[in-house]
Amino acid sequence: MSLILAPIRWLDKNAERTLILFAYSAMALIIVYAVFERFILKSMVPWSTSIPIYLFLWVTWIGCSHNVRQRTHLVFNDIRLRLPRGWQFACLWFDAVLWLVFAAIVLTYTVEQVLLVEMNFAIVQGTNNVMQWWFYLATPVAWSLLIVRVLQNLWDDIGRWRANQPFLIDIQVIGKA
Amino acid sequence: MDQGLLLGLLSAGVIVLFLIGVPIFLVIGYCVVGASLVIDFTLANVGVTLFEGLNFFGLLSLPLFILTGDLIAAAGIARRLADFAHACVSWMRGGLGLATIASCGLFAAISGSNSATTATIGGIMHPLLVKDGYDTRFAADTAAAGGTVGIIIPPSIIFIVYGFLMNLSISDLFVAGILPGILMVGSMMTVCWFMARKNRWGSIEPLDMIRVMRTARRSYLGFFAIFIVIYGIYSGVFSPTEAAAITVGFCLLAGLLVTREIKWRALPDILLRSGQLTGMLAPMIAISIVMQQVFGLLGAAEAVANFVAWFGDSETIVLLVCMGIVLAAGCILESLPVTVIFAPILAPIAVAHGVDPVHFSVIFLVGAAIGFITPPFGLNLFVASGVTGIPYSKLVRFATMYMAGLVVSWLLIAFVPWFSMVLLPKLAGA
Repeated sequence: MSLILAPIRWLDKNAERTLILFAYSAMALIIVYAVFERFILKSMVPWSTSIPIYLFLWVTWIGCSHNVRQRTHLVFNDIRLRLPRGWQFACLWFDAVLWLVFAAIVLTYTVEQVLLVEMNFAIVQGTNNVMQWWFYLATPVAWSLLIVRVLQNLWDDIGRWRANQPFLIDIQVIGKA
Repeated sequence: MDQGLLLGLLSAGVIVLFLIGVPIFLVIGYCVVGASLVIDFTLANVGVTLFEGLNFFGLLSLPLFILTGDLIAAAGIARRLADFAHACVSWMRGGLGLATIASCGLFAAISGSNSATTATIGGIMHPLLVKDGYDTRFAADTAAAGGTVGIIIPPSIIFIVYGFLMNLSISDLFVAGILPGILMVGSMMTVCWFMARKNRWGSIEPLDMIRVMRTARRSYLGFFAIFIVIYGIYSGVFSPTEAAAITVGFCLLAGLLVTREIKWRALPDILLRSGQLTGMLAPMIAISIVMQQVFGLLGAAEAVANFVAWFGDSETIVLLVCMGIVLAAGCILESLPVTVIFAPILAPIAVAHGVDPVHFSVIFLVGAAIGFITPPFGLNLFVASGVTGIPYSKLVRFATMYMAGLVVSWLLIAFVPWFSMVLLPKLAGA
């Protein structure tokens, strides 16, 4: 059992972290190198302007999922903080339902988009064999992960409700966790 | 059911979602979904634009300048700049408060984020301000207000978004923001000096030129980073994305090899933090682009234009009404949604009345920046509250003092275009 649980636990802790680190470092390194190449070596790799954008999109949507888990998305929480505990719990349920429905809409249409790009054998500009759909997967993958994170948060909130512990409603500072 | 009634109900629903604390991304998202359903517009647009809306090379400077902000903080460069600022103004009443605002201005010239400026400078200066006898709430507000210039003094993340949305040169916007940013710093320093003098806060130290020179020497990395950004963009040698890339490389090497305050092991945490901030801002840009499209179909621009025209037709009246709308929106929204929703509606109205588009961008964004310290949703006040542990509601009182100072500078920026435009012609020859 632990053989199954160990990788799941690792993924739970590191899935977004690993993807963000890889995509962010690759994006920054490619742009920094492209600038160096343009100014010092007087040449330019043709894909240095296309692949970083796709990596940025991976960072964006995986970061969005990570923010859901960390509860660091921007909110106006002044009123929610003053609500009775039961209402706060109801609001947390409501958030979860809103995320899930929106994720379903996004997934429906972004999967369609990925399939379309895949069927057209679209290739990333400046490359010979890098398929665009690998990068277009960013939105469906991130939103699938986001669904898992929403359910995890809801599970945690139910636990806090049962244990009579305070909910995480206050604004969470990025990078604190 | 009548379409107007449905849209009215939708607006009420969206306001309720916002007020009960639903994440702003979702509030905008459901506004888009609801409006699309009402006007029978395909939801496939949501899926397409969430990806394609961000598919623009110029937008890459956003994650890079976010990373720069985190790197200069981690490399200890921000602290050195704060030491230098304090050495320069410690001879005045309220010297430490003035130094806090000046540090925010220097930090803003490398980073492009208001919250990073508030969090970093607030974290460094708040304990020192409290120790020096300042009111703890005023000390926190000083960092919160100082952070507003984070998005005006170049580089600025929000200028990148504005330029991207309005199809304006990001370099032009950066250059136009330099003097207004300095003016804002000046107005906040005046407020701080006045408050410190009135309440006899803080100590006065004689001017020590040796200390000034020593801290200036220790801050050379910060000055060099500022030079790279300002010179590169101003001279036209680099694009904002390239300037961001060079600054990232420079700050990383400086932190790893010169100050040695960045350890290899800490790099993943720095990147993750920047990734999280990108993951908060970029999705809002994407969803706001969809909202902009839906608003376009609804004829929102026309409705707002009629509303503005109701007040009068002169340039002054139009500017004042636009500024009022930006300030009111800034009270309840973060600068990003304010920009993405209102800039495409208000800018054409102002431009049609003779306001230069670059000048209007500065007016608009200074207003959005003031929104960072206007209750009920003042993001910098939230950040300052998080950094200092002082409840948000207690930060509102002194923030209004800074707000007054900033509004005076905003009016000057709006009605004296020289501040925004004087540095621009030099670009043409670059």
